[in-house]
Amino acid sequence: MQQVIGDFIHSLRHHGLPVSPAETLDALHAVKLIGFENPDQLKSALGMTLAKNLPHRLQLEELFDQFFQLNTESPDASEESLSQPPTDTTDDTDGLKNDSEIHRDLEHSEITSPLGQMLLNDDQTAIQVTIAGNGQAAGASEMKLFTQKAQVSYRILQQMGDRELTRELSELADDAQNAELIEDIKQRRQRLLEQIKDYVEQQYLLFSEKSGQNLREFNLQKVKLTNVDHSHMHQMHRLVQKAAKQLASMHSRRRKVTKRGLLDVRKTIAANAAYDGFLFHTKWKSTRIERPKVMVLCDVSGSVSRVARFLLLFLYSLQDVLPRVRSFVFASNLGEVTDEFSRLDIEDALAHIMDEWANRPTDYGCALEDFKQLAMSDIDNKTTVIMLGDARNNNSDGKNHIWSEVYRRSQRVIWLNPESRYSWDSGDSIMKEYAPYCSVIEPCNSLRDLSRILGSLLKNS
Amino acid sequence: MIIRHQDKIRSPEEIRKNFEKLGYICSDSIATAVYLACQLQKPILVEGPPGVGKTELAKKTSEYLSSPLIRMQCYEGLDEAKALYEWKYGKQLLYTQLLKDQLGDVMRGAKGLDESVERLHQFGDIFYSEEFLETRPLLQALREPEGAILLIDEIDKADQEFEAFLLELLSDYQVSIPEIGTVKATSRPIVILTSNNTRELGDALKRRCLHLYIPFPDPKLEQKIIASQVPDMGEALRKQVVEFVKQLRQMALKKVPAVSESIDWARALLLLNVENLDRDWIESTLNLLLKFQEDIEVVEPELNQLLQKMRQAGASGP
Repeated sequence: MQQVIGDFIHSLRHHGLPVSPAETLDALHAVKLIGFENPDQLKSALGMTLAKNLPHRLQLEELFDQFFQLNTESPDASEESLSQPPTDTTDDTDGLKNDSEIHRDLEHSEITSPLGQMLLNDDQTAIQVTIAGNGQAAGASEMKLFTQKAQVSYRILQQMGDRELTRELSELADDAQNAELIEDIKQRRQRLLEQIKDYVEQQYLLFSEKSGQNLREFNLQKVKLTNVDHSHMHQMHRLVQKAAKQLASMHSRRRKVTKRGLLDVRKTIAANAAYDGFLFHTKWKSTRIERPKVMVLCDVSGSVSRVARFLLLFLYSLQDVLPRVRSFVFASNLGEVTDEFSRLDIEDALAHIMDEWANRPTDYGCALEDFKQLAMSDIDNKTTVIMLGDARNNNSDGKNHIWSEVYRRSQRVIWLNPESRYSWDSGDSIMKEYAPYCSVIEPCNSLRDLSRILGSLLKNS
Repeated sequence: MIIRHQDKIRSPEEIRKNFEKLGYICSDSIATAVYLACQLQKPILVEGPPGVGKTELAKKTSEYLSSPLIRMQCYEGLDEAKALYEWKYGKQLLYTQLLKDQLGDVMRGAKGLDESVERLHQFGDIFYSEEFLETRPLLQALREPEGAILLIDEIDKADQEFEAFLLELLSDYQVSIPEIGTVKATSRPIVILTSNNTRELGDALKRRCLHLYIPFPDPKLEQKIIASQVPDMGEALRKQVVEFVKQLRQMALKKVPAVSESIDWARALLLLNVENLDRDWIESTLNLLLKFQEDIEVVEPELNQLLQKMRQAGASGP
């Protein structure tokens, strides 16, 4: 029993469920009480002890079905005989069995290699056991990428003695009489290949798909945001939200600590007058927590738009700790899009904004004029202004005096440039014009950069 | 927890059947959770949309096991003083005043400050003893001689600090009070925590609990629930009610009707002597099911379609 539950938990972990040893013990206790008789009860008992939120629960239930159904299908074979769904194959092997009996009588002695014998005998259980046994040796449960599947299948086949069989077949082929036998064995070998493929596929699904995904997530964190292709977009969104949640919980906790300030003597005395002046209830001067006011300007033209997407997504995922974000986007003209985010959910809003504002030639001068009109008067010494842009201005006037005023009025100006430092000021980039009027300038082109920069933004607030 | 009737928790089926007798119709997984909680002495964390009977589960468990229910409602800013214990400051103050003269007697004849302090020490911490301890729900539950059902309601509303504070209680059934020491449960209470998922709970807390998710019941179960709560209602109407509510739950509403709302609605329909659900009745009683005007505005134009679907399901359904 422990082995089965252990295997099950192993496959849960591979699919990304964080099952702790304590929970494993709980599950074992629960299973001891419930028993294996009632699958539904078993499923809910395992669900209660091992999965602690709804998505995990659903995943567990799906895996439970997969895992235990497969195990019961061939109960007499070893545990590992997870593959072989095959009502259809057994049908036609029955048909073939009759043929093979004839062959066996006539030419049994011709085939001496163990694999050939096994194929001729058509002993499905033995075949399954051998596949599973060799599968472990070939590393079927340690596959990380789907590209390894073919390799593992090949290894299993080799270990089962495929080389000997092929050699034997080529020897037999010299004699024309054996043509029928060879054809038969070749067909059986083909079927064996299918079975091995099925087995490997299932092992991959049970054990490895998720860890492959973890690997990919890890890499995605480092990849350049401008290079993220569409198929990964969705995954990135999830990652952004994960990172944002981490930051939010980190900083909401820190805030609480600073809540309690100095003893407020006056209030304490007043509150304790009722106790004859004994100071039982202490009153504290609470420190006011300043949540930073953030204004973010995003260049949404060309290559920057990708990064802008993620920056906005990140900022709005941080709403717990950064409730007052005003966002502006521009290519040539600039407009405020804060409302879009309050009206629509984040992803819809992003799509909408990109549709409306992107794909126009960049003009920083014009955009800054608009920004001055819209928001300059709202910038005070508690405001952090974040600009995301490559400062490629198509050789027109950058109007950096407006930016200098923004710098003067605000608490902090952060310029994030998606290009690497080496390409600043090359071509039509006018980064150096704005650089004097920024408190921080950072290249920012991966999720890691984003997370680091926004983390420091929260820390200093 | 001392359970006087061990046979009451012999198996999940037993619990389910008996809960049914008490008027709480539950699914297998709920019964299994209660069974495991009793047997393994682990807290249950119940999650699910509002109005599916999370709090009710605790009440019925206490009724079933005939042990007292101690309820603690969580809210933002809840702290130990309100959840665990507090000193009776007023009483302490009053006693010090009254004992002033006594203190004078005790101190008389003492030479120098050192000796006075020495003498005072001999009296121990009388003012921080059991006498002056005001117990709050958590401590009360730990001290209940025969165990209790402790309901910690809406834990997601409390702060993260409070959640961390609960960890010691949930895993070891003990709490530490600085002035007294560690208080261990005389008999382990059965703890039921509920959460509406307004925020994600910490992993440490979740790890210590059995996790039970109560979804909206499937139509069959809901019919049973309504039948037990509103026994006078005809079967045909009951089916219609359940089917209609099910349709509503599939719409994008601000707040979808929960089980408690469908029970209220069923009661109202019974009171109004409704025989057959039609558009007029639904329109005039819709505010029992939907609690936001926006939702009502969304549903009203769709009513004909909903009714049609309801009838189709009624005709083909069980």
